[in-house]
Amino acid sequence: MRRGFRREIDALEEVFRFLEDFVDEAALDEGAAFTINLVVEELFTNMVRHNTGGGEFIDLGIERRGDVVHLELVDIDVDQFDPTEAPKPAIAAEIENRRPGGLGLHIVETMVDTLEFDYETESRRMRVSVTKLLEP
Amino acid sequence: MFEIKRSTNGTVQLHGRFDASQVSTAKEVLSLVDNSCVVDFSELSYISSAGLGLLFATQKRLVDNGGALTLANLNPHIREVFRIAGFDNIFEINE
Repeated sequence: MRRGFRREIDALEEVFRFLEDFVDEAALDEGAAFTINLVVEELFTNMVRHNTGGGEFIDLGIERRGDVVHLELVDIDVDQFDPTEAPKPAIAAEIENRRPGGLGLHIVETMVDTLEFDYETESRRMRVSVTKLLEP
Repeated sequence: MFEIKRSTNGTVQLHGRFDASQVSTAKEVLSLVDNSCVVDFSELSYISSAGLGLLFATQKRLVDNGGALTLANLNPHIREVFRIAGFDNIFEINE
């Protein structure tokens, strides 16, 4: 399944409806559905908030191949930005020393099996791809 | 759909799905919390880092003033997100 979504936080409602259809079609259980929703939200909102430039839409593709969910988000005509270089959250710190930020990507990295970012300079195309192995 | 309300005993009740598009709705209620209280997650099915960030900011403000939020009735998926975020150090979480 593949579709473009408006580059705005309020598009999340449509994103979740799209994912609901995918979850039904791919027969995912509740835990996998929760993870997929969370991963897509974090990556989509990161693109909306941090990618500069960009067209009207962010493209989301998702499919199940056997026991693995593959998903990708593609943002075209954006400046180069590598989210993995952002500061990591100090998750072991006490509240006095914690700072907000970086949590979304940390959660994604922890919950998925692979996470890759690539950027094509000529087309100014940023792509993030994820795989998530489904539990038996 | 997301809803947040404060019950007469002071408990903050969360309902539905707390995603990034709901932060301003939640902020309207949480910004009025000025002393220790329970946040009841029993009717909440989903939360993302945007919701975690707002709860964290509220907790930090309260702790600075001698109070704290206590979180209760998290479903297993939400509980796991809090663990991944390292929020076991930040909140008292009642199982």
